[in-house]
Amino acid sequence: MDVTRIKRGRLAALGIAAAVSLAALSGCSPASSGTGADGGVLTVAASAAVTTWDPVASFSTEALYLGNIYEPLLWKNPEGSTEAFTPAIAEKWETSADGLTWTFHIRKGVTFHDGEKVDADAVVGSIEAARKRAGAAFIWAPLDTVTATDASTVVMKLKYSAPMDLVAASTYGAWIVAPKALAASASNDKYFEKGIEAGTGPFTLKDYEPGKKVVLQAYNKYWNTSKAPHYKIVDISITPDAVTAQQMLTAKEVDFATTLPLENVDSVAKQVGGEVRAANSPFNYLAYFNTTRAPLNDPKVRQALSYAVPYKDLIDVGVQGYGTQSHGPVPKGIFPYSDQVPQYKQDLDKAKALLAESGHASGLTLNLTYASENPAEARFVPLIKDAFAKIGVTLNVTAELFNQQWEKAKADPANAQDIFVVYYWPTYSDAGSDNLNSLFHSSDKPFFNLSYWKNAEYDALVDKAGTLTGSDRAAAQATYEKAMDLLVKQAPGLFLFDAQSVTIVPKDLKVQKFNENYPFTTFFAPIAPAA
Amino acid sequence: MTRLIIRRVGSALLVLLVITLVVFILSRVIPSDPAVVYAGPKAPPEELARIRTRLGFDRPLPIQYLDYLWGLVTGNWGDSLSTKRPVLLELGTRLPATLELLFAAMLFATVFGIVLGVVASKRPGGVADGAIRILSIGGVSMPAFWLGLLLQVLFVGQLHLLPATGAFSTQTQYLHPIANVTGFPLFDSLITGNFVAWGDGMTHLILPALTLAAYPLGLIARMTRASMLEVLGQDYVFTANAYGVRSFMVRWRLALKNALPPSMTIIGLAAAYALTGTFFVEVVFNWPGIGQFASTAMLSVDYPSIMAITLLGAFGYLVANLAVDLVQARLDPRVRAS
Repeated sequence: MDVTRIKRGRLAALGIAAAVSLAALSGCSPASSGTGADGGVLTVAASAAVTTWDPVASFSTEALYLGNIYEPLLWKNPEGSTEAFTPAIAEKWETSADGLTWTFHIRKGVTFHDGEKVDADAVVGSIEAARKRAGAAFIWAPLDTVTATDASTVVMKLKYSAPMDLVAASTYGAWIVAPKALAASASNDKYFEKGIEAGTGPFTLKDYEPGKKVVLQAYNKYWNTSKAPHYKIVDISITPDAVTAQQMLTAKEVDFATTLPLENVDSVAKQVGGEVRAANSPFNYLAYFNTTRAPLNDPKVRQALSYAVPYKDLIDVGVQGYGTQSHGPVPKGIFPYSDQVPQYKQDLDKAKALLAESGHASGLTLNLTYASENPAEARFVPLIKDAFAKIGVTLNVTAELFNQQWEKAKADPANAQDIFVVYYWPTYSDAGSDNLNSLFHSSDKPFFNLSYWKNAEYDALVDKAGTLTGSDRAAAQATYEKAMDLLVKQAPGLFLFDAQSVTIVPKDLKVQKFNENYPFTTFFAPIAPAA
Repeated sequence: MTRLIIRRVGSALLVLLVITLVVFILSRVIPSDPAVVYAGPKAPPEELARIRTRLGFDRPLPIQYLDYLWGLVTGNWGDSLSTKRPVLLELGTRLPATLELLFAAMLFATVFGIVLGVVASKRPGGVADGAIRILSIGGVSMPAFWLGLLLQVLFVGQLHLLPATGAFSTQTQYLHPIANVTGFPLFDSLITGNFVAWGDGMTHLILPALTLAAYPLGLIARMTRASMLEVLGQDYVFTANAYGVRSFMVRWRLALKNALPPSMTIIGLAAAYALTGTFFVEVVFNWPGIGQFASTAMLSVDYPSIMAITLLGAFGYLVANLAVDLVQARLDPRVRAS
């Protein structure tokens, strides 16, 4: 056998194989984005994972998708809008003078995606399901009874006055769901997990690959024909990493990205020829003080630390300037926010004086934890550490996963961290009953009040304001402001800053203004090619 | 050979059992409430208590562990706390993409690592040897996510030659959908004659495979070089040269065969290591494999997923080592005899 000839034959075969491969590859150029420009497919990179497809149980980032598939009775509009609400499944609504009876008139001619018609019974069924088993079932706590008085009228009777318009517009626990699907899911809690949906919204769920992709398809029988989707398909690639999303946007693999690294937004906007859009969001940063033990059980120490924080620097470094210093724990744009609520300004001399008055002139040592997976906290916490050092406070900083620092704070306050940095947002657009109540109302077994602060005067103000919100919103606002005034002065926490929502709108797309009441939802129906 | 396999499988099962115990204890020791992971931190206390009972997290730890072992054997590896879907299903749908990436990376690393190692051994201290040393050390030392980003900046951002992310473009998915035959999309596109999709997939595979291949390529190149230098100093090589056998034949047929066994060990270990390397690479390139799922599971302390991924990784190491031992036994009669 001629070894040389065999060898040459093998080499020739390898060469042909390589040539064929190269020919196949050379026919492929780097993929450009979907056919966004022609109104067919809109491609999106989004970080929102799906923890459940169950619209009743939903309480996480899947709101991005559910907000396009389902509708509530009404939508809450962004701050500064001409109207506070936009009717959805409910055409109109009214409340009694005492705020204990709410009547919603259900729109006629609306169908669920499975063909069932929307009527008062369907609405009642959805609300009852939410009361019973929603992730956010607590928003329906004021509800005593909900009944369909006729095919188009739903009447809610409350145990105490509450803002049911805000509740009914919630991004969690308020979707109106087809009765058959509700009945099926009542006996099978995994019913929706196959990717079944039963909404009335402008999109249906066409395809779902867990962790990879969600594909929405325009619903051709959507009742609101003036707001029907422009794009027939929205192809959403689930992209947890913001830098990866940035790469996809700049490489034109997607038309739009919902999350981008804040430090790169300006350069990316230039690269793609887009506009950076910043808007109020319901997200804010605060830090609980552990008030169960010395020295943080002393308000003067807490005030001293509040005067030491470089708030502007935190915003500039933590979120690249896309934020505003907080006025208490209620985020800007969400009821009952008020810019009349006092703020602390950095004043190191005042901080030192307060520490001296409280007997800590020689300094003290505190432990702080923050969420290691939150890049903004990783950036701004060192600034707090440095600032505290200037007034003689040594801050031992530990980065932990949120779940772990949460566990530490809840387990035993005597052994918990001194300062717990938190990134928070209200469940629905009533930060009075959420932020002010959940975060700082005293309780024997605190759930979210991880400062363990107890103040009867504050509790009374918040409780009173809560009963007024449904019937006299202005009076509720005034009462909440008194509560926030007290809260800021007592300083059971550091009220750091309200983060803005930042997106890049590419020049060839028209994207609706961000709605802070639906922070996880990008509404795809109004998105259209720019003229 | 059969006895070797039986012995190895037995010891592998023991190793896996110990790993399940260690991982189980660690996952329970870490302060994190699985009910909070499942329902979110805003779920009310009653709901969290209900979830703990439903998922069995309120039972004594030994019972939980035995239950878990039984589940492993019966195919119930638990549900992901984040996605609520069976963990095996999550891994099963993602594993093919990871295996395709791993295969491409290791194929590249093995072929080119060996070639570079042989070339470097030709003139130790020469220009080629120096260049290959820099390449090898660079590949081993550079973090995978950093290398991936650099390659994206160069080949996507500057040269516009290759796609940045994903396994296939959106256009391919809509206009040339791939029929599911084996579950391995690149392979399926080839065997079903969908060459447009195959070409698109191969283009998307280049950057992540190169990134993943960097570390094993460096290792294999260095090990091959070292082995070759040792073998080339042997008397029989000197004799072959003296008999006039062409140096190409001496190097590539005679010496390489005997220099390969140590490199085989490295290849096996590198392949298993590369499996964990996919965690970073898949995030950077948005590759739809288990790496992305693993990253998310770790950040959210999703116990069942973390345990499953750890077991998968351990299993991968054990299989890789067994395969290496078998190949070595095939190549080297002394191993078979021992």
